[in-house]
Amino acid sequence: MRAPGVRAEEVQVVTSFPPFLPWEARPLVGVSDWRWGTWSRCVGRGRDGDESGVPIGRMTDDKDVLRDVWFGRIPTCFTLYQDEITEREAEPYYLLLPRISYLTLVTDKVKKHFQKVMRQEDVTEIWFEYEGTPLKWHFPIGLLFDLHASNTALPWNITVHFKNFPEKDLLHCPSKDVIEAHFMACVKEADALKHKSQVINEMQKKDHKQLWMGLQNDKFDQFWAINRKLMEYPPEDSGFRYIPFRIYQVTTERPFIQKLFRPVATNGQLNTLGDLLKEVYPAAITPEDGEKKNQVMVHGIEPMLETPVQWLSEHMSYPDNFLHISIIPQPTD
Amino acid sequence: MSLNLDTEDDFYLEENRFKQCCAEFIKHSQQIGDGWEWKSIKDFPDGYMSKTHFQMKNGNTPSIFKDSTKENDEQTFTHVEEALDDSQASEICATSEVIRYEYHVLYSSSYQVPVLYFRACFLDGRPLTLDEIWEGVHECYRARLLEGPWDTITQQEHPLLGQPFFVLHPCRTNEFMAPVLANSQRENRNINYVTSWLSIVGPVVGLNLPLSYAKLVSEQNSKTD
Repeated sequence: MRAPGVRAEEVQVVTSFPPFLPWEARPLVGVSDWRWGTWSRCVGRGRDGDESGVPIGRMTDDKDVLRDVWFGRIPTCFTLYQDEITEREAEPYYLLLPRISYLTLVTDKVKKHFQKVMRQEDVTEIWFEYEGTPLKWHFPIGLLFDLHASNTALPWNITVHFKNFPEKDLLHCPSKDVIEAHFMACVKEADALKHKSQVINEMQKKDHKQLWMGLQNDKFDQFWAINRKLMEYPPEDSGFRYIPFRIYQVTTERPFIQKLFRPVATNGQLNTLGDLLKEVYPAAITPEDGEKKNQVMVHGIEPMLETPVQWLSEHMSYPDNFLHISIIPQPTD
Repeated sequence: MSLNLDTEDDFYLEENRFKQCCAEFIKHSQQIGDGWEWKSIKDFPDGYMSKTHFQMKNGNTPSIFKDSTKENDEQTFTHVEEALDDSQASEICATSEVIRYEYHVLYSSSYQVPVLYFRACFLDGRPLTLDEIWEGVHECYRARLLEGPWDTITQQEHPLLGQPFFVLHPCRTNEFMAPVLANSQRENRNINYVTSWLSIVGPVVGLNLPLSYAKLVSEQNSKTD
């Protein structure tokens, strides 16, 4: 299955500084192949209460998925909006953005770069826009890209603004504390769904801080040392209480759909991504005899609809512990 | 009252019960002209309660400045006097000081409780900043709100409209509603969850419920007694 959004030859075309190496720009290539293997072993786990059938190799594969999700990057070109007042011409700024982070958390260098050509008094709150649409900093970067630009050529071209902050569209982000508060609120809400908040409430403040610091400083091991506790569930259960997920589509006023959804059906079967969509957003699924109108995308790939949502929740959630799923039009090429 | 009681005796509000409570609440609001409406979302079964009202920045807002210090009382008094002397000046003054508050009551399926969203702007459309909102929060609530990041007022995206609103975080709702619900169960009395909840959180952000809302529920109780 071809991973959408990245073609090796396109990446090589980007020769401006800094050059992007093909493997740096990849999304999760090949995950779907792994997943068939892990899925069949996944179905075996917990259903009969028998753990002995789980091969050690499975854990290695799954951990690789966690790493791939964490280290996914999007090559981006930041250009200053032409109406901003500058003292001299502003060069565009290139950056590899982490899919799992937030715009205002990783763009200090972008702000510094453009500040150099502007007067101090004109540098107010920075905000970003893509093809006329203000970009919501409180959405993870990977979600924004998948939703708005996944089927366009790289690099992702983002316009930087300092004037005319769109009060009606964007939340203010006056400091990193606001990003931390937002991130932790999401983590807390996800745990309310998964564990009735028991796991997150049992953690100490320093554990909460470690999650945030791990994200902020791009420290996979530091983050997962704590996050793995949020991915556990009682041995007598087959999964979480409810799956934390949100479904996004550009065409609606409503920012996302979020509903209560159990990972296991009443008959004990693991619910799949297809089951989730059927219940929560049936319009996203292609009818039997119909043409495929939409892509259902997470982290730049289309997981197979047969994938158990419990597995997706454990392995392809964002650091905020939510599965952010984009429904985008099927590209016509 | 169909409460969803878990083994830990948590008092969750189930979504359909939330809608019922809102319907009863709005019915009473219509009777007394309190201005609450139900707003539906196109193509979805979701909806929320909404109320808009206008307040003067320096007065005419019962809860926010009711227990103000003497200083503030004197300022307000002077303001009114000026208005009586020069009607034109008072008109200009009034327009700049009028704030439009919009309150929305939504349901959170994650926490299974209602959540209060609100926003405020001046008549010229300029939205209030978080700092300006804080100025309107009574001192006695401020200390409590500033204690924990989970109880404070933050700016968030409205989950149904996609626009910036301020929110009182819902994760502690269960804590303060539990005693209210436990009491009502003990006394075998019906309560409207939304009414009780709103009467607790509303005043923090300048939203007050006339006492007749409580009277309505007690009337229902006496009918069934």
